[in-house]
Amino acid sequence: MDCKTAQNLLEAYLDNELERTAARELEAHADSCAHCSAMLGRLDELRRALRDQGLRYRAPPELRERIRATAASTGVQPRARMPAWTRIAAACVLAFGAGAASLQWWHAAHTEAGSAEITRDLFAAHWRALAATSPVDVISSDRHTVKPWFAGKVAQAPLVRDFAEQGFALIGGRIDYVGSARVPVLVYRHGQHVIDVFVLPAPTSLPNAAQREGYALNATMLGEQPAAIVSDMDGAERARLAQLLSSPSAP
Amino acid sequence: MASGFVDDLAQRHLDAAYNLGRWLLGNEHDAADAVHDAFVRATRAAHTYTGGNARAWWLAIVRNCCLARLATRKREAQQRHLSLVQAAAPPDTDEAEAGVEASQRHAVIAMQLRALPEEFREALVLREIEDLSYREIADVLGVPIGTVMSRLARGRALLRRALDPAHAQEAAHGL
Repeated sequence: MDCKTAQNLLEAYLDNELERTAARELEAHADSCAHCSAMLGRLDELRRALRDQGLRYRAPPELRERIRATAASTGVQPRARMPAWTRIAAACVLAFGAGAASLQWWHAAHTEAGSAEITRDLFAAHWRALAATSPVDVISSDRHTVKPWFAGKVAQAPLVRDFAEQGFALIGGRIDYVGSARVPVLVYRHGQHVIDVFVLPAPTSLPNAAQREGYALNATMLGEQPAAIVSDMDGAERARLAQLLSSPSAP
Repeated sequence: MASGFVDDLAQRHLDAAYNLGRWLLGNEHDAADAVHDAFVRATRAAHTYTGGNARAWWLAIVRNCCLARLATRKREAQQRHLSLVQAAAPPDTDEAEAGVEASQRHAVIAMQLRALPEEFREALVLREIEDLSYREIADVLGVPIGTVMSRLARGRALLRRALDPAHAQEAAHGL
């Protein structure tokens, strides 16, 4: 990596926005370049100054209370509206150690309106990613790069496999939101088509297939985990990818 | 979208919202009012949330409410024939007191960050204090990721120059 390129990437590197290969190249360059390593040092110093100086203001308790009061007077408390059986079932989910995020997910996934919302979120996330500069946050065809990238960001890193030989090349991954859950997304390319595979935190009552404005969604399994494929490629191709994803992983 | 979604979202990211408000508006009272406005607006606009990053959606609303207050403040200041500079950077009343207790370094950094133009200040606050990714910042500000990167770079260069005038040239050169 030359010095000019390195200088342009220094900040992205410190901001953790560089994919692993580029980050390693930059580190290698900085090791041998006094100018870049000094620059990196000064940027890091600034960052630490901004982060360690307690510059974050915390919301005063009165504001928290005020918002709670407004919510109570204008809205309906969501939990109070849950039918009793849901609360009992939810308590069971909690008892099995699923945590609050999955509880919300569970609630969203098992009501008809909830599953319609998830379907909408999945399409919206796919379109947003397509409209963005890049549909992936970590660019790599190497599953050994993509999996560890997820590890620090979501509770459970998904099974990451490349199917380039079968025509579905892994191009990277990102984190997206579905409802209030942060979910890992594996991104594949098939010809001109970009394919998002959303790895869902728990089983859903998603329809097996849904269509929206030329894009389609298929519920599938990624090894043991429920997942959803969203893409504009045709049904046969989606079915083929679904089959690959759900196949037992090679040793 | 159920209103409970917004309640949860606002409570979960209340510190982030308030912190952004404080850095944009400069004082506790305005920041708290802006966050409250944002909550009311978000509740009404819950149906416009079409998936994607919920925290970025919420912070974008908070930011709009802050900018609306800033605009009102500037208008009022103009009517009172005050200078625009004073209006844009109002004194933070409790910051002066806090500064006495906190380390001098803290006071200097806070002062210089506050002195940055709004567009660089908000990008830096979201990145360094709230730890948002480029993509999330782009969503909050409604600008492309490239713009986020250049604002961060410019903001950092300005801040470094202010904190350490000796390296001003290098900062400009390096970035």
